[in-house]
Amino acid sequence: MSDQGPLNLAGLARDFPDLIPDPLYRDGGVVYRLRLPRLPGGRAFGGAELVLPPGFPDYAVAKIRLAKDAVLRIPHVEGDGTLCIAGDPGPGITDRLEDRIYWLLSAYHDKFLVRWVAGELDGDFAREPMSYWLIHVARAANRTSDPIKAVWTVDRCPLVSRLVESPLLLPGGIVVVGDAGNNAVSRRIRESLGVRGRQQMQVLVADVPITHALTPGTWPRSVEDLGHILQGRLLPDEWDRLKRPCNRRGRPLHRLVLLRNGGYGFAYLLPGGPPTHTWDKKHKRAHRPLQKPQPLNVVRLDAAWTAGRDQCPEVSARQGRHVVVFGAGALGSPIVDQLAKAGVGKIDVVDPQDLATANLGRHLLGADHVDSAKSFAVADRVNLAYPTCEVKPFYVSAQIWLREHGLSGIDAVLDLTGEPIVRSCVDHARLRNPCPLLLGWMEPFVAAAHACMLPADVAWFQGAHDPMEELNAVDWPDAVVIQEPGCSSRFQNYTAAAATHAVALVAEQAIKLIDGPESAPRVLSWVRGQQYLDDHWSNLRLRAWAEQAAAYDGLVLERTFPIE
Amino acid sequence: MPTSNVDLVLNAEKRRRAYITEAVTALRKDVETTDFATLSQIYGPWSQALERVNRHITVAQEDIDAAAAQYGKVGHCLLRTLQWPENSIEVCPQGSASTQTLIRYPDRTKFDIDAVCQVDISRVDASDPVGFFESVGDALRAFSPTAKKRCWNIAYPGERFYLEFTPSIPLSTVSDQIVEAMAPRFLPAHGYEGTALAVVDMPTKRWKTSNPKGFTRWVDETADLSLIRFETSEFASLRRIRAGVEDVPDQDVEITDTLRAAIRLFKRHRDMCVRREIIEGEFKPISVVIVTLLTRCYAGLAAANRSYAHPLLLLVELAELLPHMVAPEGEYRVDNPTVDGENFAERWNDDNDSRYRAFRTWCDVLGADLRLILQERGDQAIRAEVDRVFGTTGAADADNDNEIRPLQASAHRPPPPPPRTVGLA
Repeated sequence: MSDQGPLNLAGLARDFPDLIPDPLYRDGGVVYRLRLPRLPGGRAFGGAELVLPPGFPDYAVAKIRLAKDAVLRIPHVEGDGTLCIAGDPGPGITDRLEDRIYWLLSAYHDKFLVRWVAGELDGDFAREPMSYWLIHVARAANRTSDPIKAVWTVDRCPLVSRLVESPLLLPGGIVVVGDAGNNAVSRRIRESLGVRGRQQMQVLVADVPITHALTPGTWPRSVEDLGHILQGRLLPDEWDRLKRPCNRRGRPLHRLVLLRNGGYGFAYLLPGGPPTHTWDKKHKRAHRPLQKPQPLNVVRLDAAWTAGRDQCPEVSARQGRHVVVFGAGALGSPIVDQLAKAGVGKIDVVDPQDLATANLGRHLLGADHVDSAKSFAVADRVNLAYPTCEVKPFYVSAQIWLREHGLSGIDAVLDLTGEPIVRSCVDHARLRNPCPLLLGWMEPFVAAAHACMLPADVAWFQGAHDPMEELNAVDWPDAVVIQEPGCSSRFQNYTAAAATHAVALVAEQAIKLIDGPESAPRVLSWVRGQQYLDDHWSNLRLRAWAEQAAAYDGLVLERTFPIE
Repeated sequence: MPTSNVDLVLNAEKRRRAYITEAVTALRKDVETTDFATLSQIYGPWSQALERVNRHITVAQEDIDAAAAQYGKVGHCLLRTLQWPENSIEVCPQGSASTQTLIRYPDRTKFDIDAVCQVDISRVDASDPVGFFESVGDALRAFSPTAKKRCWNIAYPGERFYLEFTPSIPLSTVSDQIVEAMAPRFLPAHGYEGTALAVVDMPTKRWKTSNPKGFTRWVDETADLSLIRFETSEFASLRRIRAGVEDVPDQDVEITDTLRAAIRLFKRHRDMCVRREIIEGEFKPISVVIVTLLTRCYAGLAAANRSYAHPLLLLVELAELLPHMVAPEGEYRVDNPTVDGENFAERWNDDNDSRYRAFRTWCDVLGADLRLILQERGDQAIRAEVDRVFGTTGAADADNDNEIRPLQASAHRPPPPPPRTVGLA
């Protein structure tokens, strides 16, 4: 590295006279200061510098860093002062480092300086308000003594302001808001947190809907600011209660103010809660109560966000759906997972088997659940992963479950067992309680997979005839399906990757069936091409209806049901 | 019988808490003077900071000019399409554009220019107000207007403004029979009969009295009353009349024009309170309520022979009296001074006090914020607090040329790097 640093600045200096060519060596990198033009009073900031971080040019990109006084005062500035603009494209684009720096300095001047001074960036805080809020939260946080670390919301924003009690899960310091009157979600969250949610205490939350994204210029700064907001929004008795926060025993409660809308959430812990203690080795330390409101991160766990990123209006209705899934095997277990991810509110999963090591290569569960009941293990896993879905396990056969529960109140049945007796019992139960049905199954090697969707009034059995075999895409020789030693069940080796096609097909159709409205009965099939068949077994042929897939790696085909 | 302005002010004075006045009085310390120059020196940092806000929230003249040009075009289009003679309509600004209290929103979204289109009665079938309203909409079809309660809204994609165009006829030309059929039947206030209009109220499908010109005249005349003892700069309103289409008045207003400055600053503060979520947008005090209350307060102070040694003192007085200009007992009333019986606060009486509470909360915060500003010391601190309160970070100083120019084309400039696509993962 030369005295001038790693760059030849002579060329750059012509177009960027504000670049001071004296390198400063800092934090393993090189820094060049940038002179600032005369900026108007409200737009001035302490300084700017070109930073070539360690790893530049091969593994890092050059950046512009502004003085700390720019943070939260100027948009697009990260917590450490780095200006978030696209400038240096990184290695591989050009051999000339000076070009990369030229692009960066141009972007700094034209995309930032010019626009900042012209006021064109003023509205940009509101475009990504949570990024700046997180910087604010991080600055105010004290990891050891903060009694509350974050707020998790599990419902949609209320239409009118309300004062609610919510659980604070300790020692994780997480308040779960929005589970009023039904603590199922917070219970599942507590379980998913493990030791972080071992204890709980109640906190008082003023849950206030807002219209605008709050920005550094409009964040409430003080108890008085928050008081102005709350006084106009809460009912007089709620306002009084928030001002005198005690539980039934007269002990002080923590108080939170949660300002949120469908997209954003901002929370403050108010001063005046119970004292906070931490353990410092063997000594218990008491911490000073808050002197001013502490900003807190708000994390959304409601299904509209986790399942639909607010772009899927169907999620709201799915939350009210109750689905039963028969079979928690290679097809059923990932389908339960997919339904939970899609926002389905309640799933009964029915399977009488335990997980065996032979299942591991293609099951949702792993070796930690070998010899566990599949239904319970799947339910545990999905309940922990997706608190907005309640999965109830049944370690019984589908027949017994149907005898004991029937299909009353069930919005959709998924038969993913492949078992004729289950198909028969399900059809029988549907006579009493008509209910949409999806039958899903795979053929050997997952050379084909099928999802048959039947409206509530259409039976699977055509008289006494079970149509599954004739819906298949291939005539399978007996030798393909190996008899498992000591077991009457059939199995056939296939990869989890191949099965994923089947899972995707069945999961998509299951979600459509759950969303409704019911359409005409039909069968959707994923059929692999001739090359795939040849790679797995000799002399396999697609049936006539499926032959059109032969030339492809795979094709999705739709048929009416029953087939003609 | 509406309460007189002076009675309203005297009642408000009894109810007020002088907490902002205390803060402004403290600035003088022990200096006992009414000398304007001395007071200007004492109050200078605060009044200059507010002046800067006042300037910042002004809608740029080029935007006003662009809007005014369109507004003229709309008037002429109406004449051309309906094949009416030149003198059969008159288009003039109403609302904040005519009272010089137009301000821009904190997020730089569009501002609205309200215009009223006054049509000669001979061109209108007065027995069919809806037909008249719709015929104006049809004539403006080229502008793709959207019908609202009493006006046609014309959006201008890519521009910073939109027009609200209200068809009307002079009330004095309407027959007694039509006047009888108006509901509610408001009559123009004494002294404002000549400018009263009948506009179409689409929800009731009837004519309704309105008086935008009279209202503007009332604000103008009140603002001309001098409450500052040593006023140094005089404000002259700039109104130009041209061929039946009246230009939008220049929106530059100095803080010495204290009524208009107060209206503009307080409206901006109201908008910021909505942005700060202190009051809900749905219940915020609407502009005409703020203008009416402040103007009545100003007129009442003049009638009570109050005078002030500096505009800042008058501004503080207006802020302190404002919350008490609406009686909290009985029916909430903010009477239109130019149309007898019309209550701008009509909706306050059937919303479980939501609007009244929002008004009081806003007034409280306005007072608290002004007090915080007055408690700051030093130009930087005052400016920072003013910027926070009014959302004016980055507002220009009067003498500062802020522009920084983009880089000029250079022979050394490398071609831009090829674009890169980000894949979803």
